[in-house]
Amino acid sequence: QSVTLSGKVVDSETSDILPGVNILVKGTDRGTTTDLNGEFKLQVSPEDVLVLSFIGYLNKEIQVGNRTSIEVALEYDIETLQEVVVVGYGTQKKKVVTGAISSVSSEDLETLPINNIGQALQGRTSGLTIASNSGQPGEGATIRVRGITTLNNNDPLWIVDGVVVDNGGIGYLNQNDIESIEVLKDAASQAIYGARAAAGVILVTTKSGKSGKITVNYNGYYGSSAPARKLDLLNATEYATLRNESSIAAGNGVIFPDPSSLGAGTDWQDVIFNDNAIRQNHEVSISGGNEVSTFYTSFGYLSQEGIVASDISNYERYNVRLNSTHKINDWITFGQNLGYSREKSVGLGNTNSEYGGPLSSAINLDPITPIYETDPEVLNRAPFTVDSLGAVVAPNGQYYAISPYVQQEMSNPLAYIQTRLGNYGWSNNIVGNAFLEAEPIKGLKIRSTIGIKQSYWGGESYTPVFFLNAATKNNRTSFNRNTNRKTDWNLENTISYTKKIGEHDFSILVGQGAYKDDAAVGVSVTAFGIPADNFDEASLGWSYTAKDTDPGGYENVPHKVSSLFTRLNYNFKEKYLLTAVMRRDGSSNFGSNFRYGYFPSASIGWVASDEDFWPSNKVVNFLKIRGGYGVVGNDQIGKLNFVSTIGGGRNYSFGSSSDSYGLGYSPNSLPNPNLKWEETSQTNIGFEATMLQRLKVNFDWYKKVTNGILQSPDIPGYVGAVNNPAQNIGDMENTGFELELGYNQEIGDFTFSVNGNVSYLQNKVTFLGDGREFLDGGQNFQASTQPITRTAVGQPINSFYGYKILGVFQTQEDVNNHVNSEGKVIQPDAVPGDFIWEDLDDNGEINVDDRDFIGSPVPDWSYGLTVSATYKNFDLTIFGQGVAGNQIFQGLRRLDITGSNYQRAALGRWTGPGTSNDYARLDDVDPNGNFRRPSEFYLEDGDYFRIKNIQLGYTLPESIISVAGINKLRVYVMAENLITFTKYTGFDPEIGGGVFSIDRGIYPQARSIMGGLSLTF
Amino acid sequence: CSEEFLEVDPIANTLESNYYQTEEEMYAALVASYDPIGWLSGDFVTKLTALNAASDDVYAGGGSSTDVPSLQAVSSYNLTAETGPQSSLWNKGYSGIYRVNTLLVKIEGAEVSEAIKSRYVAEAKFLRAFYYFDLIRLFYSIPLITEPVIPDQMFEVEQDTREAVFKQIEEDLLEAIPNLPDQVNVSVEGGRATKGAAISLLGKVYLELEDYTLAAEQFEKVNGTPGATSPFGYSLLENYADLFRTDNEFNSESIFEVSHSALANGVWDCMPCTEGNIINIMAGPRGYNISNTSAGAPSFVSGYGCFVVTEGLVDAFQLGGGQFDPRYSTTISNVDSLQQAGVVTYEPSYKNTGYFLKKFIGRTEDVTSGGGATELNFPQNNYEMRLADIYLLEAEALVRGGINTTRAQQLLDAVRDRVGLDPVPATFENIMNERRLELAGEGHRWFDLVRTGLAATALKDKGYVEGKHDKLPIPLRELTNTSLVQDPAY
Repeated sequence: QSVTLSGKVVDSETSDILPGVNILVKGTDRGTTTDLNGEFKLQVSPEDVLVLSFIGYLNKEIQVGNRTSIEVALEYDIETLQEVVVVGYGTQKKKVVTGAISSVSSEDLETLPINNIGQALQGRTSGLTIASNSGQPGEGATIRVRGITTLNNNDPLWIVDGVVVDNGGIGYLNQNDIESIEVLKDAASQAIYGARAAAGVILVTTKSGKSGKITVNYNGYYGSSAPARKLDLLNATEYATLRNESSIAAGNGVIFPDPSSLGAGTDWQDVIFNDNAIRQNHEVSISGGNEVSTFYTSFGYLSQEGIVASDISNYERYNVRLNSTHKINDWITFGQNLGYSREKSVGLGNTNSEYGGPLSSAINLDPITPIYETDPEVLNRAPFTVDSLGAVVAPNGQYYAISPYVQQEMSNPLAYIQTRLGNYGWSNNIVGNAFLEAEPIKGLKIRSTIGIKQSYWGGESYTPVFFLNAATKNNRTSFNRNTNRKTDWNLENTISYTKKIGEHDFSILVGQGAYKDDAAVGVSVTAFGIPADNFDEASLGWSYTAKDTDPGGYENVPHKVSSLFTRLNYNFKEKYLLTAVMRRDGSSNFGSNFRYGYFPSASIGWVASDEDFWPSNKVVNFLKIRGGYGVVGNDQIGKLNFVSTIGGGRNYSFGSSSDSYGLGYSPNSLPNPNLKWEETSQTNIGFEATMLQRLKVNFDWYKKVTNGILQSPDIPGYVGAVNNPAQNIGDMENTGFELELGYNQEIGDFTFSVNGNVSYLQNKVTFLGDGREFLDGGQNFQASTQPITRTAVGQPINSFYGYKILGVFQTQEDVNNHVNSEGKVIQPDAVPGDFIWEDLDDNGEINVDDRDFIGSPVPDWSYGLTVSATYKNFDLTIFGQGVAGNQIFQGLRRLDITGSNYQRAALGRWTGPGTSNDYARLDDVDPNGNFRRPSEFYLEDGDYFRIKNIQLGYTLPESIISVAGINKLRVYVMAENLITFTKYTGFDPEIGGGVFSIDRGIYPQARSIMGGLSLTF
Repeated sequence: CSEEFLEVDPIANTLESNYYQTEEEMYAALVASYDPIGWLSGDFVTKLTALNAASDDVYAGGGSSTDVPSLQAVSSYNLTAETGPQSSLWNKGYSGIYRVNTLLVKIEGAEVSEAIKSRYVAEAKFLRAFYYFDLIRLFYSIPLITEPVIPDQMFEVEQDTREAVFKQIEEDLLEAIPNLPDQVNVSVEGGRATKGAAISLLGKVYLELEDYTLAAEQFEKVNGTPGATSPFGYSLLENYADLFRTDNEFNSESIFEVSHSALANGVWDCMPCTEGNIINIMAGPRGYNISNTSAGAPSFVSGYGCFVVTEGLVDAFQLGGGQFDPRYSTTISNVDSLQQAGVVTYEPSYKNTGYFLKKFIGRTEDVTSGGGATELNFPQNNYEMRLADIYLLEAEALVRGGINTTRAQQLLDAVRDRVGLDPVPATFENIMNERRLELAGEGHRWFDLVRTGLAATALKDKGYVEGKHDKLPIPLRELTNTSLVQDPAY
């Protein structure tokens, strides 16, 4: 006998009504949800049990009984506030954390196709600017935490299970092994890592087993990648037309008498791109344990073919991991984490360079040259007729053609591939730690950890005799093998004591650490003239004369740090929060005058929503306001810079007897015993809030100031030293804010969540030394003698610097009318079609003083958005990420090779009055420097938004899989980099590297479509 | 941790404070002081390549108007503070001076014998004079630095007067000469400074200062009786072509030589660390290939096609009636005619004339079989000073100073007689012409033209502007945040 039960659901504490609460009759699929007034109606029997569930609240079960109306109060799930965060040398309840920390958890990463852990953070955490170094498989990403902190190494400090691992060395990690990643963004959180924390700290924690039944997990995907975009390059007819025009303009006459006869020609991009590059990943993990021991072990395999010249661009990795903990007795625990990886990477050489490689060649080669040479007249000439020159033969027996128009480093990419087949690099990493932790009395923990990173890496390459063109050729075979190794270690001992006295919660940590890294050693041997025709035959096992071998080696001076640190955490009722940190570091990179640095920080927090006066309301359920200030340091400026070292290589050959030449030594640079730490101080103010139960808000504002940046500015040549001495000159400032938002909604079988973050950042250089307005040098571009970037006071670091363009001279009259304030014609030698340069100093001529800051390579805005939805057994996740506010230097065309191909935009060049006001005329000599001068012409907006990943999954119903003893089986399809919204005209707007956003022909990110399976039993 | 933990062993690094103790270490300091003589910069600038490109004897050539920009700029007199060979030449000079100054300071505390000390000091002073003499001629107004610069005073250095610089050069040479050896064992010490080298250099300094009497006096000490073996043992080689054989280094005509080696395995990563002679690969015609191997074509390497010989120089070698000066065939190769004869093929260079600088085109037999980049390891030396050069300089001093025309005639005759040419009157014009032909491509021409005031006429076609291009601009880097001032002409 069923009755209609009407009910209302409220919050237990605030009595706020709760709309959207799920109500299910236990053991059935009958149910409903509460309406906007928190009310519901449901047909029930007295014996039914209702299950009420709502995100952020504890589930509640209610026996219906004889009731026909009911009011249920749901309790807020304290667990969500019990969430802990890894903070360095321990964890802290999220609620009482006072620093700015962003976290990524294993659930966020599950099943995503992440090849390098750096990518896992892109778009998922605020405060980070991340760009892949290139689309070459196995390449990492450039990561900047809260902007660029220094002119030196800006790579954050990576700490994996307590082991310091350098940025380049995290490629060994397997994404499925990761439990969580925490980014320490403000000085208050970073200070516990004092000396090396200025560029940010990223803590990676790998998974551990849980006591209970053994769990086996498999996750794998398989799919195919293709280029997302091709450049619009000219075909042969268009190319010939423009080349004629440019040549005639230079007074050199027609090159191609009949352009239209050339047809479309060769599309070199098609030649090198692989539209079906295979990509796969498989991971198996087993975890479990009992009261005494727990373990987590895994095996992973990943392989990826590159989308460019896959034969010489691919990557493979094997991973093994074992993590375990053991309770030796009631109060002593032993644990270890150990990861091993083997990587094999085949790289095509230049991934972002205007100086050759398949991509650069494909962009610049003329479309007239065919892939294979078939013209008998050409084949009758050198190099094809002279075997010893090494014209490259294709597998089909034909010769690869050699362009007569575009040479130097540009070559037939297929021929180039043939010269590099088999070459590869490898790396083996063992990273692990072991710890012993004792808790002799409650609250007192003594912990000793030793961490080691043992790395081995190297490569093998064979170079045949080849003739790619007159400038790119090799006349004897060689084979190189190099091996390198290094052992980094750190030893840390900490004592912590946690005590609660009444409502006062204290925790104090004291620790000591010693670190050694960077002591790499390596040997490299090259044998010349080896009797081998290809990589497989090449060997160092032949006997060579000393003259035919070139042995080399190196040994790095180690970097050592010795530290003492302490941290105090205090809170009253988890309402008033305080954290204070002090660390003292000594570094081997400094002389005894300033060897030690002190890095203090303090931060406070106030959980306002816990105050009695906090109005009980349904808008703001939780609010914590926090702020902090601290100082951290950086010692990364190379070693032995505080002294003057003697350098070799200053040799001179005396005597006519052929085997004598003298080894010369002289000082490398002037000494600087006063060299000291860079200091980065940071103020952070932020709040965390939960609103309407569903919306989480996290906001931070910061100001970060770096003082005493270690630099080796160009000193005048008249000093005569080879190297420039290091000095503490330079200040820089970063200010910005970060906002993270999360929203959840659950309606019946449908759940929905949106997580977004946005970061804004401004960088400004504030001091570069007395009277020094800017640094010499900057990013070079091709043969331009003027750099394209400049680091100057008052400007963001590495700002683009060049000439401003007012338009294109349409007529001679325009040329005559372009005068300075005194009426002097500024560009008297210009002709119609040339760019009108802005005469910034009004001196009546265009020279180096007319350059100005014309753009910034670092984005002002970085943002990410994840939308997830599930319906019954289906799940869908869409993840997008983007940046805004930067410019990209589009330097794809090789300028000093006059025959380089053009992009389609060149068809819109100036050809007569009124034809163009933004693309100058073509002229091989280019007397006005239209294209040779670094100018606004090359800058494009770098804004983009990319749908990074779309994933659709289906979890098989338990009823089906339980038969097979399987707990969970999910199948999914996903697309990576499906769409990129951008106006940028190059391959890819995401360009990392030492300086962001300089496109010299970057290896683009692939678009991949993959299918996968994850299985748990 | 203890303080000791942070003291790292400077593996493979020697600290300056621990160095310069032993004889071996002082020798290394001496070698380092010589090293910049063969200076090669990343922009393919050596003293020889830059001065050739600047002269009326060759064009920079190369693949295009933008190939080797530093040399193109000086070849077409498109010099600006940032473009040209000046920063390489400036760094060459001051690097040498820094190493010399370091040696002079450090040798005081080193454990070396008095004999070695006095010789090293003399060599160092000779080198300092040598570097400064190049700098003052190339840049006109330069700072005079005679001790290693202290970091704190790095930016306060100012340009000195030309008089002060010349005075220092003279002083250094006068102090060096007595302690330099008359001769060295060339098989192991060839290339090191001798009395003859220092006296020749002193003569050149006086000639630059137009002190003809003092100049001629010095030159005479070196030259001795024209055509005979000089007191220091110098004599003209019988066969002119033997001067440029790579197996004939430090011969009896050589007074001071820029030494190169094929054995140093130089690599592109550090061009200044290389010991090879870059001019050899640069001078090679582009895409040079012998198509008819039986026709006896020269065994040139295929190179960068730089140093295209001007028609003007080719004309200067013509004696009339289709006859060429005997030195022509050693100096210049008409690759065009070889191609037309079907013997070789090659690709024309920028500003191609078909003529290339044969004296310095690398030979396939000289290509290194050792490690490193073959392009960077050619062994050919080149002369800074050789006897015929000093003969002609003395003749110039004697004629310009109106001192002794008879001896001038003897000197000129000796040079011409060696190659079988009849005497011509020892006029200023004939002496200069003789220098041009005798020393073509050896890096003297530009200095000769500027010294004698002939530059404005001879280099007009290349874009030379009088009062401006008789020196290079001070490099941009030297002006940044320093007290140096640019030459007003730039």
